[in-house]
Amino acid sequence: MPSYLVQFAQSHDEFRLPEFESLAVIENVNVKFNRDEYRLDRPFLKVEIESDEEAAKLVKRAILIKSIYELWGEGENLEELHASVRETSDRWPHYMGKSFKFSVTAFGSTIVAKKSLEMINSFSFLGFDGDIDMTNPQFQFSILVDFGSERSKYMKVGTFEAEKMYLGKLVTSGSRDLVNRYNLKKRNYLGTTSMDAELSLIMANQALAGPGKLVYDPFVGTGSFLFTCSHFGAYTLGSDIDGRQIRGKGKSSIKSNIAQYDLGDRVLDTLTFDICHNPWRIDNWLDAIVTDPPYGVRAGAKKLGRKENSKKQVSLRTYEGLPMHERDDYYPPTKPYEMSEVLMDLLEFSARQLRLGGRLVYWLPTIVDEYSNEDVPQHPCMKLISNSEQNFGAWSRRLITMQKVAEAHQGEHATIPVHHHSENDVTANRVEQQVRMREEESTEEAEQNKQQPGHYAFREKYFGVF
Amino acid sequence: MRLITHNMLQCHVKNCNDNNFPLRLEEVEVELVEADFQPEFLQNIIGKLEWPAFVNTAVQLGNTNLPATIPDNAKDNEEFLKVLHTALLETHVQQGKMVCPNCSHVYPIKDGIPNMLLAEHEI
Repeated sequence: MPSYLVQFAQSHDEFRLPEFESLAVIENVNVKFNRDEYRLDRPFLKVEIESDEEAAKLVKRAILIKSIYELWGEGENLEELHASVRETSDRWPHYMGKSFKFSVTAFGSTIVAKKSLEMINSFSFLGFDGDIDMTNPQFQFSILVDFGSERSKYMKVGTFEAEKMYLGKLVTSGSRDLVNRYNLKKRNYLGTTSMDAELSLIMANQALAGPGKLVYDPFVGTGSFLFTCSHFGAYTLGSDIDGRQIRGKGKSSIKSNIAQYDLGDRVLDTLTFDICHNPWRIDNWLDAIVTDPPYGVRAGAKKLGRKENSKKQVSLRTYEGLPMHERDDYYPPTKPYEMSEVLMDLLEFSARQLRLGGRLVYWLPTIVDEYSNEDVPQHPCMKLISNSEQNFGAWSRRLITMQKVAEAHQGEHATIPVHHHSENDVTANRVEQQVRMREEESTEEAEQNKQQPGHYAFREKYFGVF
Repeated sequence: MRLITHNMLQCHVKNCNDNNFPLRLEEVEVELVEADFQPEFLQNIIGKLEWPAFVNTAVQLGNTNLPATIPDNAKDNEEFLKVLHTALLETHVQQGKMVCPNCSHVYPIKDGIPNMLLAEHEI
């Protein structure tokens, strides 16, 4: 298969390869590449794809890919690159008489204009006789120069040589402009927990959202994921225990955002209910669940119910002759919803409600020092596809993508490993106790090993430690 | 709320497990809003619909165009898919309530947003 060069954006490094692989699934494009050649700190990856058409399909909705090039040559210096490009002479006649443009792109350093021009002119052996058109050429060629990410930090520009050079013919660019289109700064209605546009778009790709699909967000908030998933053609549904977030204020609401983005055809509905007590009558119907569960940093998670030590009676009180719960302004009491419970419920809900092959894409916050890969909640029906970290120093959040690989059966449960770091850790002990009670309820299994994962007592530690 | 959503909802009050679907629509304000016709989605969702309930609900709202059973060639039958599209995706209940046929719990719909929250004695 012909070689292509992917130029990734230098943004959310850990999310780039998972997105790339999701795009290959979405567009059903056959891609080969050597995983060992991929570097988080470099923008370039050499891949093999059948044709330009397939390469364009693969990259067209990418958020973390700038462009994809048909690879014409590579080398560690300009001479090697020339030699490599000369071997492609069978391609050259096709470009005769066509307008074109050459440019130089450097990574890890800069190249002065004079040097760029020299480099461009050094390819005159290609003999292209068409017009040079800088604004609207038929074909664009780029000399891509990788100086590496190490030396540029402490060495003066121009005093070191490139590590690798490529010549590529531009096939197409990704969809990074969408980051601007869905920018929160321009969004009509926002909440404190609205997810930034770039990550929301990446999540839509991870979810394989596309035409004909149905995507659901059980913690919809102000609707960020409905917009990005529907942008790519999926039909979307959302729900939240807090109807105020959905309705918004005055002229700002999820509805006004749908209008702003012109997505009314595909954002189906948003409903008010608690995912712990959900009214869906049906299983195996969702193509993806995309969500940012509330974990209590900005907005504490709540579920229906009364706190255990609450003194108030659960009896039906009446007010002005009407039972309280039948009044228009009735809002049922809620109690805190511990994160481990949220996660177990989310996985169990997903295992039931997703179609086979459907994906769950969600955020898992973790304390960096305590995190290990085994901390990611598991379910016998759900296979981990990717786990990408966005680091905030002492804490981070991880975008977890899972796929339903087996039908859910009665008695199968999500599991969250628990390790124990310190006997004196009061909050962690308390939270652990709560979760253990729940585990005993849901499984009759013997004592679990005492373990404490990186998201344990996350809220308490977030406010207590940092 | 579109009829597709209505077709997926049942009463979920504690111990209300029989005859709790479909929720009866009452005092409704209905609006038709045009939407792009995308057969692919309809083809995917058709097998997930509770068809008789869907037809009955549409009839209650004055849409009598749906056949009593799903035609054999449904997925390639564009005429049928268009009728389905209008009922399923273009019919919005803006105001009203949904009432459980079994326990009579009332779920209000306000500005198109169904409130499916339960009172504390119902969970």
